[in-house]
Amino acid sequence: MKKIALGLLQVAGLTVFSLLVNTLTSLLHIPLPGSIIGMILLFLLLESGVIRLNWVEVGASWLLAELLLFFIPSAIGVMKYSKLLEADGLQVLAVVLVGTFAVMAGSGVLTGAIYRIKERRSS
Amino acid sequence: MITGLLFLGLTIAVYLLAKRIYASSGKMYTSPLIITPLLIIAFLLMTGSSYESYNAGGKWLSDLLQPATIAFAIPLHKNFKVLKKHAAEIAAGVLSGTVIAVISSMLLAKWLHLSGDLATSLVPRSVTTPIAMSISQSIGGVPSITAVFVILTGVLGTMMGPSVLRLFRIDNEIARGVSLGTAAHGTGTSKAFELSSLTGTISSIAMILTALFSIGLAPALIAVFLH
Repeated sequence: MKKIALGLLQVAGLTVFSLLVNTLTSLLHIPLPGSIIGMILLFLLLESGVIRLNWVEVGASWLLAELLLFFIPSAIGVMKYSKLLEADGLQVLAVVLVGTFAVMAGSGVLTGAIYRIKERRSS
Repeated sequence: MITGLLFLGLTIAVYLLAKRIYASSGKMYTSPLIITPLLIIAFLLMTGSSYESYNAGGKWLSDLLQPATIAFAIPLHKNFKVLKKHAAEIAAGVLSGTVIAVISSMLLAKWLHLSGDLATSLVPRSVTTPIAMSISQSIGGVPSITAVFVILTGVLGTMMGPSVLRLFRIDNEIARGVSLGTAAHGTGTSKAFELSSLTGTISSIAMILTALFSIGLAPALIAVFLH
């Protein structure tokens, strides 16, 4: 029970923090979204010890565990574009499929190769 | 308002059910990100409800994406030592992925005779939604259409992820994280957290770097390839 209250409080805290950062980024005309700035800011506050890990840890791990839930309304939003997807759907699907496959394979293989070279050098 | 709340409740209920089915079956096509939207779209179509009436409640969930993105700071902080150790391969991997994403989108769209609008809207599709939309705007795409392609990339990316990793024998946590986060942004990162906490953290770093590299590189690459 206590853990649930603590988690809710921390989620609320993170939400208020994100609203504050949003206001700040639009006031300062920073060309990056508030969420990215907020992440970097919170990271710096954690590293410097201004914010302690246990102040945010429970709420943050909840949010990360249910991340997919927050994408669902935008996935449902695809229905608004049914006409576009009917007309060019197959081509779009092909671009996304082949493109994503290439990015995944390319970046993963390169990262793995460099990783192994570094391992070999250090051993 | 009331219908909005009902749709919100319905989404959470279907999601929790889908999560349980996914946990017991482990099959990729039972992922909550696939089953939940399909069931709810079917329900909306059957009852003749509009997306706007759905989203009156649904937007509350989308709004939580902001604090959820900020929450990535926690695994980032916990794993910072490992990250520093592997900074070189992470940066190189993400950079290559970003370039492949932009070029493959443009060339494939051109070969398949998609219109210029659609082609440019496809370019930022592997970047996390808010940044993808602003890149789309700056390169002459349509931001809301880009948002659709971003989510499509996320869904297809998490579906094919495990097979691609197996096919190319991408078996260490650093490379897996880079691969999923660069190709499929937040949804890929969520998949990466299923594999391990470190993989998920690397993936969230890859997601941020992809966004930053794309902001810098996409306009230049488009200028080179479209002319």
